[in-house]
Amino acid sequence: MRNASPLPPSCAAWANDFDEWRAQARRLLHAGVPPASVTWHDGNDGHDDLFSSLELPPTLPGSTPAAIRIGRDQLTLLGNAARYRADGHDQPRWPLLYRVLWRWARGDAAAMHPADRDGRVLHQRWHAVKREAHHMHAFLRFHRRDEARGERYVAWFEPAHDVLDLAAEHFADRMGGSRWIIATPHGGVGWDGSALDYRAPCPAAWTEEARTAAERANADEEHDLWRTYFVSTFNPARLNHRVMTQHMPQRFWRHLSEGDLIPELEARARHGGQRLAQESSVGRRKGKALPDARTTLSQPSPDDEG
Amino acid sequence: MELIDKLSILADAAKYDASCASSGAPKRSSRGKTGLGSSNGMGICHSFTPDGRCVSLLKVLLTNFCLFDCQYCVNRRSSNVPRARFTPEEVVRLTLSFYRRNTISGLFLSSGIIRSSDYTMEQLIQVARLLRETHQFRGYIHLKAIPEADPRLLEEAGRYADRLSANIELPTLTGLKTLAPEKELDTIHSAMSHMRQRIDAANDDAERDAKRLPRSANPKRMAPRYAPGGQSTQMIVGADATDDRTILQSAQHLYRDFRLKRVYYSAFSPIPERPAGLPQAAPPLLREHRLYQADFLIRGYGFRAEELLNAPGNLDLEIDPKLAWALAHRDDFPVDLNRAEPAMIARVPGIGLRSVQRLVDLRRLRRIRYQDLVALRCRLETLRPFVVTQDYRPTDAQRDSSRLRQSLTQPQPAQMALW
Repeated sequence: MRNASPLPPSCAAWANDFDEWRAQARRLLHAGVPPASVTWHDGNDGHDDLFSSLELPPTLPGSTPAAIRIGRDQLTLLGNAARYRADGHDQPRWPLLYRVLWRWARGDAAAMHPADRDGRVLHQRWHAVKREAHHMHAFLRFHRRDEARGERYVAWFEPAHDVLDLAAEHFADRMGGSRWIIATPHGGVGWDGSALDYRAPCPAAWTEEARTAAERANADEEHDLWRTYFVSTFNPARLNHRVMTQHMPQRFWRHLSEGDLIPELEARARHGGQRLAQESSVGRRKGKALPDARTTLSQPSPDDEG
Repeated sequence: MELIDKLSILADAAKYDASCASSGAPKRSSRGKTGLGSSNGMGICHSFTPDGRCVSLLKVLLTNFCLFDCQYCVNRRSSNVPRARFTPEEVVRLTLSFYRRNTISGLFLSSGIIRSSDYTMEQLIQVARLLRETHQFRGYIHLKAIPEADPRLLEEAGRYADRLSANIELPTLTGLKTLAPEKELDTIHSAMSHMRQRIDAANDDAERDAKRLPRSANPKRMAPRYAPGGQSTQMIVGADATDDRTILQSAQHLYRDFRLKRVYYSAFSPIPERPAGLPQAAPPLLREHRLYQADFLIRGYGFRAEELLNAPGNLDLEIDPKLAWALAHRDDFPVDLNRAEPAMIARVPGIGLRSVQRLVDLRRLRRIRYQDLVALRCRLETLRPFVVTQDYRPTDAQRDSSRLRQSLTQPQPAQMALW
């Protein structure tokens, strides 16, 4: 009966984030508007108010549309795929999500399966988003600032997808009572020891502080300790550039305090013929062979500082 | 000696342990609490060194002074290497500082044997105790279990650590006798057995707690945990003549008898002042890679070591062990993806466990077609001769295995050369 009133030939809908999209999509679906008739605008497009009015045929009284049932797994898939920032040749997120939801609501369960034409894209995007959240957990670096109120940590990170909130939850669990801020090109988040404070856009002062700290990363002793560890834990006899860059893409090196060591270590390993596992600077130190255990057990043990 | 010099020596001395995993710990959070650190079961690799290995933990030795003279070890007492020793407080300081910068997810602490096994184990425990009790550290801790130490100490270590490991290093009695005269296989096995019993018992208690959570949600009333991330071990590959079949069989035995979480394989890297009899060659990385693949097939795919290697010898370096098995069992193929048991689909080379699950889900919705394998990004060139779908039958199903092998290995000579 819903088709009794003629549909507008096309209608426009816009959304800034997944929750907004969900609200719009629900209304469109209830009104029976097929995907081809909707022009979606993304908040990031800077939409024009002239086209922003979403005009839907009113739901006819007495014909309450059936509730759209969607499982938690499906919602998770849609919500996380929406975090993917589509660029130039990717299809935009909202039309894709709406087409899948439309097919799903019409009983096409394969629409969200990874072997499906649309489902495949959703799963690939979710995978990319998970990977980027993981990158942010792994490669973000906090820089310590000592202040009158105690220490504080600041970080600058450039995530490829919308994963700032996922990272914020992770670091709130991890950093305990320490105060910190994370600044990104798309927004920032702060933690005062008890609550998260999201800001979009990122306050200029945060960006400034975090970027400066990231660029002067080599200012303290802790930095040297970490670089020393990185050099020593590397095994030159096992050089494997391909596997390293596969796991840690080069775009992250710039903000890692060990980043500039990588080419140098690789060159040195190749030059030295990759013969020994030992780091060459350790090999140059004075060595010390120890006496046999049978004689040392009755004497002072060889565990004095060397 | 300055802290930075000690770090340089004791990290270098610890790199021969392959494991750097920070996964498998229970969910812990410091939100709204004093202290620092969290874990959620997933490991995090905070960096990668140019050898392609993950940096997840601060992996150091407490000291590289050692009473033992294991020939394969850079820290053996007769080796002329620089020596150093951290104080427990220094290790704690490094761990906390690196952790706050987000460069590590925890600590992997091992040590040379000094004074006695008990004394050494007590020192390791002391570091873990400081971290857990004094600093309320909730990140990951992996402690080396020293097999010769008093079981009471292993008991204590397991209460602080997420994971314990005792290294087998050489899987045969003769190997140990020749290269590690102070080590005893029996002692290592009995330490593993002790840890297994404690881990099993703690897991049973934790399960019981989970069932009646409302009453026992107070952590003080919950059963004490014991190494919730389980135990692991390591075997060196290529230091002696032990073949892959022996290595895989002992791994299988360790998984079954001691329920190890992981067995790590470490290709022997040449060390300075190499004792006579040890190879000077580059570490056998491809062999190590094949062992990890075979290990994965044993743990996840239901293969037995004897299926992968039915006679003494090493794994095929040219093709992966799953493809090798399929080529040796052509009678079981091709597999009809619309009918076969999931366990059999998992045996098709080029189809991984995740794709198996997806194919099983998909065939509940509709028939599987060849295009679905493309969409699921399975390794088509490998699986082509081994599967049947609704619209596809292999044309080379009758071709004999040696010719099939030739055609499967030909297209990627460049890839092999990389290793």
